[in-house]
Amino acid sequence: MHLAHLRLRDFRNYARLDLDLSPGFHLLIGNNAQGKTNILEAIYLLATLRSFRGAGGAQMTRHGRAGYFVGGNVIGQGEHEVKMYWSSQARRLTLDGRAVRKLADYFGTFRAVVFCTEDLQLIKGAASRRRRFLDLLLAQTHPTYLALLQRYTRALRSRNALLKRRLLDAVALESFTHELLATGSQLIQHRRELMPRFSPLARLAYRRIATDEEELRLEYQPSVQNDFAVELAQSRSRELALRSTVVGPHRDEIRLLLEARSAAQFASEGQKRSIAIALKMAQAEYLTGIHGTAPVLLIDDIMGELDAKRRGGLLPLLGRAHRARSQVFMTVTREDWPAELGRDLTRWEVEAGIVKLAES
Amino acid sequence: MASLPEPVTQLIAALSRLPGIGPRSAERIALHLVQTDAAAVKELSRILIAARERIATCSICGALTERQPCFICEDPRRDGSVICVVERPVDVLIIEKPATYRGKYHVLGGRISPLNGIGPEDLRISSLEDRLAKEAIQEIILALPSDVEGDATSFYLAKVLKPKGTKVTRLAHGLPVGSGLEFADELTLSKAIEGRRPLE
Repeated sequence: MHLAHLRLRDFRNYARLDLDLSPGFHLLIGNNAQGKTNILEAIYLLATLRSFRGAGGAQMTRHGRAGYFVGGNVIGQGEHEVKMYWSSQARRLTLDGRAVRKLADYFGTFRAVVFCTEDLQLIKGAASRRRRFLDLLLAQTHPTYLALLQRYTRALRSRNALLKRRLLDAVALESFTHELLATGSQLIQHRRELMPRFSPLARLAYRRIATDEEELRLEYQPSVQNDFAVELAQSRSRELALRSTVVGPHRDEIRLLLEARSAAQFASEGQKRSIAIALKMAQAEYLTGIHGTAPVLLIDDIMGELDAKRRGGLLPLLGRAHRARSQVFMTVTREDWPAELGRDLTRWEVEAGIVKLAES
Repeated sequence: MASLPEPVTQLIAALSRLPGIGPRSAERIALHLVQTDAAAVKELSRILIAARERIATCSICGALTERQPCFICEDPRRDGSVICVVERPVDVLIIEKPATYRGKYHVLGGRISPLNGIGPEDLRISSLEDRLAKEAIQEIILALPSDVEGDATSFYLAKVLKPKGTKVTRLAHGLPVGSGLEFADELTLSKAIEGRRPLE
């Protein structure tokens, strides 16, 4: 799977950008604040419809403009043309010229995995970060997962709105509880099934890049212990006091453990960084295993921070993506670093919103 | 820059409050109207007013009608023991189209939606209960949308109506007739597999 063409209009600092891209390794070279990461952000947006920097549409629009456009030609199973337009008044997403009505239909057209400094929040941040990571992985691999998650979220929000009413309508609450249980149980099952497949991949990835001998393990800690319906019913007095649903997959936790100790509490900064990379490597491996094609890898700025051992651990993954006719995009500030990548690179110079092939 | 005269901007504002009409379309329609033959515009306004005055909701089922009660409620050839519950008046026309359903209707006027502040008391549920008490109804068919709010409303109605001794059913989920499997999305397909039936 690769991106053959990228087109940006009024996106971040790009007034217009048209890039023809081959499979393989792409290095984006430039000083800070020239627009290297913006290109990765646009590619990630095509894959997930989200910014990996957590930015909204207005932030991604070029200063003084009404909206942005991001388009791409994706070559995977066949060739697809994706067009996204965002403005405060309108948003459009088309696939091969036709409007995408359900996001679940769009997911899977193009898959990407991003490595960036924000990944550290997977270890340090709130449980919602880890749930979102899991949800994205399941949405990228299971065709009904996103629709289920959307239904669950809708039922949850409806239920919470009912709990906030002054007079509780018990039958209306029960009606949305019914939907919450039906979709929630399926979410729990998907997450439970994923964990034994994903955790070993993360463990192997950590072993390849970490400088220590410790073992990384992921442990799914569902909010529901055995029976969702029973436990939800038992939580009634607490949810009435808090006016919010307190049991369910929206409260799940995914614990990261190094030698059975919580990584968030006990791991060093260096270990946390290795865990973040290991999780993303495992995500890429998992997607490749399920779909048979490697996702596009987007590597933002983290390489320079890594020592030789960690870089060495990451290289086989990058090499495989390369050989599988997929793509790797990497931003670097100095050209001197990635000598170990070999000569087979496309080098782009990025300066003030202009991207040129570097002379070699 | 010169701006449009006030009557035109007022017209644009009024038109853009209509469903499906954005600011651009509203402006185009307004500019067209003020440049059209005055008699044609008068005729249009007469038709608008007449339509609004002659159409009301049926006092029994809640469908759109010119007379009270509506044709369907009054039709003696219709089976009064079966009632199909729909969300909007236009849904009656959709179910009438194939001309296979011979029962009567009840329009709810919405679905329970806590996020939009719509509760059961805002829907025509008590008038449905009144009908159950007065008419000899044996079956209620729920034909609501299958999104979260639609399904929760169906569940709510079943909960409220079943204790009154009526059979409550809902429309089946499944494959569109006459098309290939590739046209069904994954959720519909998994529902269709769940709801499979033995061949007779």
